[in-house]
Amino acid sequence: MNLDHVFKKTKKRIFSGSVRKPEVPEGLLARCNMCGGAIVVEDVKNHYYICPRCRGYFRVPAWERVGQVADEGSFEEWDRELTGSNPLDYEGYEEKLAVTRLKTRLREAVVTGTCRIGGEKAVVGVMDGRFLMASMGEAVGEKITRAAERATKEGLPLILFTCSGGARMQEGIFSLMQMAKTSAAIRRHSDAGLLYITVLTDPTTGGVTASFAMEGDIILAEPGALIGFAGPRVIEQTTGQKLPTGFQRAEFLLEHGFVDGIVERSELKRTLGDLLRLHRAQGEKAEAGSRDAGPRLTKQRGSSKTAWERVQRSRDKKRPRGHAYVAALFDDFYEFHGDRLFADDPAVLGGIASFRGRPVTVISQEKDQNFGMCSPDGYRKSLRLMRQAEKFHRPVICFVDTPGAACGIDAEERGQGEAIARNIYEMSALKVPVLTVIIGEGGSGGALALAVGNEVWMLENSVYSILSPEGFASILWKDSKRAKHAAECMRLTAADLKQAGIVEQVFSEPESFTEENLYQVTVPLEEKLEQFLEQYGQMSGRELADQRYDRFRHLGTIKSETDRKRKL
Amino acid sequence: MIRKVLVANRGEIAVRVIRACREMGIETVAVYSEADREALHAKLADEAVCIGPAALADSYLSMEKIISATIISGADAIHPGFGLLSENSRFAELCEKCGIIFIGPGSGVIAKLGNKQEARNTMAAAGVPVIPGTKEAVYDPGRGAEEAARIGYPVMIKAALGGGGKGMRVAESPEEFEKNFLLAQTEAKQAFGDDSMYIEHFITHPRHIEFQILADSFGNVVHLGERDCSIQRNHQKMIEEAPSPALSEEKRREMGETAVRAAKAAGYVNAGTIEFLLEKNGNYYFMEMNTRIQVEHPVTEWITGIDLIKEQIRIAAGKKLGFTQDEVRVNGHAIEVRINAEKPEENFRPCPGTVTGLHLPGGKGIRIDSAIYSGYAIPPYYDSMIAKISVWARTRGEAIRKMESALGEVIIEGVDTNVNYQYGILEDADFQKGNVDIEFIRTREEKAARAETE
Repeated sequence: MNLDHVFKKTKKRIFSGSVRKPEVPEGLLARCNMCGGAIVVEDVKNHYYICPRCRGYFRVPAWERVGQVADEGSFEEWDRELTGSNPLDYEGYEEKLAVTRLKTRLREAVVTGTCRIGGEKAVVGVMDGRFLMASMGEAVGEKITRAAERATKEGLPLILFTCSGGARMQEGIFSLMQMAKTSAAIRRHSDAGLLYITVLTDPTTGGVTASFAMEGDIILAEPGALIGFAGPRVIEQTTGQKLPTGFQRAEFLLEHGFVDGIVERSELKRTLGDLLRLHRAQGEKAEAGSRDAGPRLTKQRGSSKTAWERVQRSRDKKRPRGHAYVAALFDDFYEFHGDRLFADDPAVLGGIASFRGRPVTVISQEKDQNFGMCSPDGYRKSLRLMRQAEKFHRPVICFVDTPGAACGIDAEERGQGEAIARNIYEMSALKVPVLTVIIGEGGSGGALALAVGNEVWMLENSVYSILSPEGFASILWKDSKRAKHAAECMRLTAADLKQAGIVEQVFSEPESFTEENLYQVTVPLEEKLEQFLEQYGQMSGRELADQRYDRFRHLGTIKSETDRKRKL
Repeated sequence: MIRKVLVANRGEIAVRVIRACREMGIETVAVYSEADREALHAKLADEAVCIGPAALADSYLSMEKIISATIISGADAIHPGFGLLSENSRFAELCEKCGIIFIGPGSGVIAKLGNKQEARNTMAAAGVPVIPGTKEAVYDPGRGAEEAARIGYPVMIKAALGGGGKGMRVAESPEEFEKNFLLAQTEAKQAFGDDSMYIEHFITHPRHIEFQILADSFGNVVHLGERDCSIQRNHQKMIEEAPSPALSEEKRREMGETAVRAAKAAGYVNAGTIEFLLEKNGNYYFMEMNTRIQVEHPVTEWITGIDLIKEQIRIAAGKKLGFTQDEVRVNGHAIEVRINAEKPEENFRPCPGTVTGLHLPGGKGIRIDSAIYSGYAIPPYYDSMIAKISVWARTRGEAIRKMESALGEVIIEGVDTNVNYQYGILEDADFQKGNVDIEFIRTREEKAARAETE
């Protein structure tokens, strides 16, 4: 049945008098510039400035940002009236500033001050894109520099929310100098052992990216934020190339190793609060959380297996992976991505966590990612995290599970050998306790690059060797099928290695070892870990490095001069 | 006065509102989704505006689009119908801000009554009986169990923002409390994004009795008698009637006065419904107040002769009620049956499809509210109710026989419906005796299932 134009219309009654027509008051509705949908402005403002339709992020004005992250009523603004001049006598600049000030009710493009986040005190700076694209002129540079200086003086962490088109052209060379001034102040803040976090928001480009935005101990980014040095339009014009979608977005940077993590706006306050707490200066340590000890342990008796059987167990697909140990042993794990050079290697899981209320850096090789074969990027990420741990005086705990370092053209191009060497070299001198636990395969240099520890522990059926038994057999006997025989003579089992003094502790495993019964390993491991941290935590940085030096110096069968002297 | 109404709904209620407006000389604007291009309401209205894709969130629930359509079409008022945005206080507030008349109560009243706990507190303060329960939201099962013990088992666990049976669970004993609490809470979190829970005494085998009220903006409030909606399946009403066979004239007056008091306490304006649970012993408790026109409003219209939609529009336009409580006369008996496109044999699975042939009953005392027609394709995206048949007769017995006769005539080809299922209820001896409560359908289904296994 076709119903088009068949029904009679309404016979209007005549009304007298005029009626005020409905209209939408200004500012009630708006159009989303990402999806084009109509939005109720107030709803968007009340929901973190996120479009309810496309979930796209709008830019957040500085004061709204303060409201989103600071504990209520805790923010105290600094240098409110500080403004710059017109150093180039650039025509119309002052008028432009005046209009912008009226529109935004801001004096300059950054708001700085101090506040509490989740109860933790910090110095914060928030850039506001509405103010001449938050370009960095003298006033912006000065406010950030003063914030960093005062944070240094007061021993407070610093958090900067970046958003900027870059340098402020109207201020010419004076604007360029802000990059050096701010960076120098950030460097001093860092040298004082203080934490600096940047949160990169859309867009962070130019001179801000090339200075304080990329200097954070921890660099977080908002989803989808444009982050780069040269803007996409400039790159397209210069190179004549069409840029791929997602180029210079936060996700692109994460993949390329330049940001530690992407954080949803609704999670930002909690994340920052946790990170501040995990970096709180030692001495006012958080109350040690007591973890559920888990089910009681049934004592395992050391079983007798051949070396080859243990090799196979160490490779068992059902064996718990590194991340399972991280989840079982630590609280509040925050993963930090990237080597800040080229990429983020998923075969290395690294970050900060809390062990019984004590902050630690955790690094784990992930067997489920590229078989645990780490790329140079993975080793460089782990080294970056170890240096970070050293800065904040927290112990490093590594879980090793790799058949060997990644082997291939790109790994060699980026210097796999150099990456491993650098790790070993730097780890030997780290001024914090380092513990390595071999949980599966400990294959060659790929394992040693995370195993220059004050102690190295193993699980009963893990192995640690110069290379795989297959490789050993094929090199020495030109027959990889004799791997079983090779395994028996390589002395790669935990028991053998303990006897040889290569490892300090061996933990027994359940017969069929899976994530289900992982607690049977982690419960005693947790106890020993506590003892380790207690014992080594009392040593100075120098003593820790010396202990590590001696440990490796005296391994093996040739006795060093000092060994001989000791014997005499 | 209102000159042009935008109907922010679809289906039979949109058609019902368009007809009322037409009779009043008020122009109408329909809104429709891309899936509703051929829907009757879109064809029947003087103007129609497409407001987006089929999904509810992109069309009928999109406040911004409906507001924009209102402004563009030059309508001065919005009738929200039932469901969709009808009880959304944010939407009513937006209308107020834009100077659009929202045909319903003010946004503040909707918000207050939409919050179960606030509504309950308002009622308790006005001396309206409420079910014993927690005064504040409970988030933790342990704390909840303590409260449940104080209130007395069995208890009902329900979400603060709940509705339609979502986020609700009964715990018969302390042993099953924790599990059911967590189940309800998880459901609530998923459905409403809020996990505030309330616990109250669970009344076994009550009747669902609701009173229709009308309130103008001059403080006049009247009630139009009750509706008995005890025939429900999973908290969805199936058959409604008025008056209730369970109320004496005295009880009706008492509950009616309570309803008027409740509406006054809430500062209510426009048509609304106060829902009570009536226990066998005659105790009754306030459940909630619905701040919209109800699906089952035709039975009240039958027995009072009052056009509720027109009254809604008149009140929204700032008119005084044209009658007093004494002038409201309840006459005869009315029953309404909801016809859904669904398959009762397959757990009432919705059955959208094209109506290939259609015959609906008519004659004295029979009313059809529907938006289907021969050749209409029922879209799969929306509610499965396709028609309401309501009848009026002098007595309940006569009304039941009239409904049986009417249902016996219904032919809807091309889609499965619940007509035969509803016919079966009308023939039920207990129903005919008026011996029903809200567990009627469940008990009947369990009995049928038992009979099948034996």
